[in-house]
Amino acid sequence: MNTNTSFQQVVIIGYGKVTGEVLQYVYDRKEEYGYELAFIEHEVHPFGVTENICRQNKISFERITDKRKLAAQLDKLTKETLIISASNNFLFPAALVAKPNVTIINFHNALLPDYPGRNAPTWVIFMGEKLTGITWHYVTAGVDEGNIIIQKQCEITGDMKAYELTEQLMELAGEAFRESFADIMARRVQAREQGFAKDRRMYRSYEVPSDGFFDLTDEPEDIYRLLRSVDYGKNDIFPLMRTVMDGQQVQILRYRKITADKAKSEQDSGQEDKGFCYLPLGENMVLKLKYASIIV
Amino acid sequence: MEEKILEILGEHCEEALDYDGDSMMEDGIIDSFTVINVISDIEDEFDIEIDAKYVVAENFKNKEAIIALVQRLLEE
Repeated sequence: MNTNTSFQQVVIIGYGKVTGEVLQYVYDRKEEYGYELAFIEHEVHPFGVTENICRQNKISFERITDKRKLAAQLDKLTKETLIISASNNFLFPAALVAKPNVTIINFHNALLPDYPGRNAPTWVIFMGEKLTGITWHYVTAGVDEGNIIIQKQCEITGDMKAYELTEQLMELAGEAFRESFADIMARRVQAREQGFAKDRRMYRSYEVPSDGFFDLTDEPEDIYRLLRSVDYGKNDIFPLMRTVMDGQQVQILRYRKITADKAKSEQDSGQEDKGFCYLPLGENMVLKLKYASIIV
Repeated sequence: MEEKILEILGEHCEEALDYDGDSMMEDGIIDSFTVINVISDIEDEFDIEIDAKYVVAENFKNKEAIIALVQRLLEE
């Protein structure tokens, strides 16, 4: 047994791909370190894998979707506990953070101190950033303010959508977690302060880029960037983007970047009469939009 | 239609074409990001909207389930 830890218990909270990776990794080291392991699902994901991992490995699994119940449950922790918040939107109460027997670490999907708060992949794409990354940090009473354990960077490519960036960030988060785990367990992380500016902007869950609206006279590249920034597939994190077409409010159901030749062929075959719109993007490419009227 | 769906599925996850179980997700064949890509291409190919309510593990448990889902949506 690896005695290089004082943690008697590890509790993992989260949903999604990175949570599954972290859970499996921590489970695989359970015997080595001798800790108890429990998983709490606070937000239910339609394609979640964690319940299955728990079932297969006989890991304690609890689904607690109510915030107050979750806070009350965590408040009962008496053992020396490491809480791993991996892709989780629950804000830990100050009283829990202050408990001397509890250490909390969190994965944030941006390079803190930049882009704290919610939906960071959206905001980095929308703002036209070329680089972003992930941060594992200790949790304090403030949101995304704790000292940094590890960061990893990645590029934001020109056509990247929010869900594609999210996938890449989750891979980086899993990699970074594996690299830091032994140091976290041994409490030997050389954590560094974030040193954020006083005017640091916190992104809230209700904020939508461009207020969810664009003008067809906007630069097509900007429209494309807006659409990519809110594209999480069928996850309704953001409403459909809206614009005005022929004096009527419409919402954008789908979009795609296609070649000018393909766009011309589609236009010639009358696709514009079937709810499609084509905006030239330059470099022989066109932004194809599928729209529908908004029924008030 | 089937052929096109299999072509799309194969583009994003070749392993899914040979899978004969009943939970591609739990068996680690596809993940939620693959599902997003497959849906996006299917919507584009068949000019249909796949509502979020259909995006559940049951409808993506194997290639037959995906084909059946698209078939249902095309018939609506």
